[in-house]
Amino acid sequence: MALLRPSSRIRRRGTGGDRIWTWLMVPGTLWMTGFLIASLVLVAVLAVGTTDDLGNPRFGFDLSGVRALADPAYSEVLARSLGYALLTCAICLLIAYPVAYTIALHAGRYKHALIAAIVVPFFANYLVRMYGWSVVLSDDGPVLRTLRAVGLADGNTKILNTGVGVVAGLVYGFVVFMIIPLYAALERLDVSLIEAGRDLYGGPVRTFFFVTLPATRQGAAAGLVLVFLPAMGDFVSAQLMGGPDQIMIGNLIQDKFFQGQNWPLGSALTMLLMLVLLIGMLGYLRRTRKDEAEARR
Amino acid sequence: MTLLRLPSATAPARPAVKARTRRGRADRKPRVLIAVTGLFFALLYLPIAVVTLFSFNSKKSLTVFSGFSLRWYRAFVHDDVLISSLGTSLRISLVAMAGSVVLGVALALGLVRCRTRLGSLAGLIMLVPLVTPEIVTGVASMLLFKGLGVALSTGTVMLAEITFSISYVTVILRSRIAALNPEVEEAAMDLGATRWQAVRLVTLPALLPAVLASAVLIFALVFDDFVLAYFTTGVDPQPLSVRIYSAIRFGVQPTINAVGTLMLAGSVGLIALALFIPRLFGRRGGLDILSGE
Repeated sequence: MALLRPSSRIRRRGTGGDRIWTWLMVPGTLWMTGFLIASLVLVAVLAVGTTDDLGNPRFGFDLSGVRALADPAYSEVLARSLGYALLTCAICLLIAYPVAYTIALHAGRYKHALIAAIVVPFFANYLVRMYGWSVVLSDDGPVLRTLRAVGLADGNTKILNTGVGVVAGLVYGFVVFMIIPLYAALERLDVSLIEAGRDLYGGPVRTFFFVTLPATRQGAAAGLVLVFLPAMGDFVSAQLMGGPDQIMIGNLIQDKFFQGQNWPLGSALTMLLMLVLLIGMLGYLRRTRKDEAEARR
Repeated sequence: MTLLRLPSATAPARPAVKARTRRGRADRKPRVLIAVTGLFFALLYLPIAVVTLFSFNSKKSLTVFSGFSLRWYRAFVHDDVLISSLGTSLRISLVAMAGSVVLGVALALGLVRCRTRLGSLAGLIMLVPLVTPEIVTGVASMLLFKGLGVALSTGTVMLAEITFSISYVTVILRSRIAALNPEVEEAAMDLGATRWQAVRLVTLPALLPAVLASAVLIFALVFDDFVLAYFTTGVDPQPLSVRIYSAIRFGVQPTINAVGTLMLAGSVGLIALALFIPRLFGRRGGLDILSGE
């Protein structure tokens, strides 16, 4: 090998060398820069721009869109969106952990089949799944009928057109984003750690909180980010499951672009959403860096 | 530890019993966990089951099943608007699949093999769509087309869908390329192949299963996509998912149950195919394609 290396290196240089890899990257990167990065910059630019009488964007420096965000009606919607998204994250974690745990540690040879059974319907049409879920949660749907039969609900209990409905929609839509990273973390978990915990007389509860949970912390953190991102930006759940008083920031953005035709304000709201998500992402990155630094020590 | 230090003969009895019960508890099936998981699966599939069941209902009701009938499927087949939307969606998916696979495979190859600063910048740009909610990318694409003075149409949906599918193709293929042994390429070159020939004749065939699987996956994702299509579509036959959205918003029509069932069956079939493709080539299952492992 050592004898062959120089000759192959010479030949590689002779036929254009490693530049081929750079050239392979160029079309995709140019495409993404032109269509994605440029368009995101455009949103930021239009947030401080205006529109003409026909609704076409006019570029300039006008802070009316940004200033309009100060309206308390918007901060109320933002607070509700944050609340719903965080609640969705918490509920997804509570549901996903036992499910991922059962599949990773107790499903044996059915492990892969069960995970596929969770992932496959998730890739099916989001609208159709949401619509089916709204039928299931409707006033005479199976869930409320069951709850009424066991006495947990009466005739006035509603899920649809309430905040509960919106959060239920978000959970249904994005819980799989929590299950996959948790499952991956639990799969990698060294089971002998749990056995060691038991051998040291830790009960199942203590073993779980002192061994299993810390070992899968990173999977949970990744899941929280993966659920938070789409939950914050969603507008379908609030539309199908909530009433007009349950709107989230996504519905506001949609409204400003389609009904209101106030594009600068819509862009300003989009930037506000991005800002909130960026703060969340930075928090996650700091957390994982700290974890990695601790692991290296 | 305590066990070893205990001198008396009576004392070890308790820990020993305790140890047995503990072992027993660990071996027992975790009933609560299994019950929770079962309930989760029931709720996961209930909406899908409801849509499918009532697509065969003979009456318009969504709560009472009054007999098997294909009338809503017949209504769909005779609905010219929905059928032309189906055609639009199919065309968009095909174009987006072809475009994003070509650009994405090249990008993934470059990203794995080229370790320059340009490469890490390209890697960062590629990740942006994956951490941006769809509504933001939808709004941004729409503004770009409006800003350039391009009328929104099926073509603009295709361009937007290609942009966001490139990331998925690249993510799926990156790990697969990293797992390939670059020395095989070098061996081909030692035997007289040019770098390009080595990529074309050695690397790409080795990647074929992953490329096919990602192509099928992109087709399904684009066909089902709603948010991007909603923001970038024009007035000409709108994609099926956008039509479904307006139908759901303005009162439920049972035809949507039939369309929805067909779409669910279609995407589940495609995803299953994407999972199965690696196995066709004698590799283990393709679940890692979906979970990004």
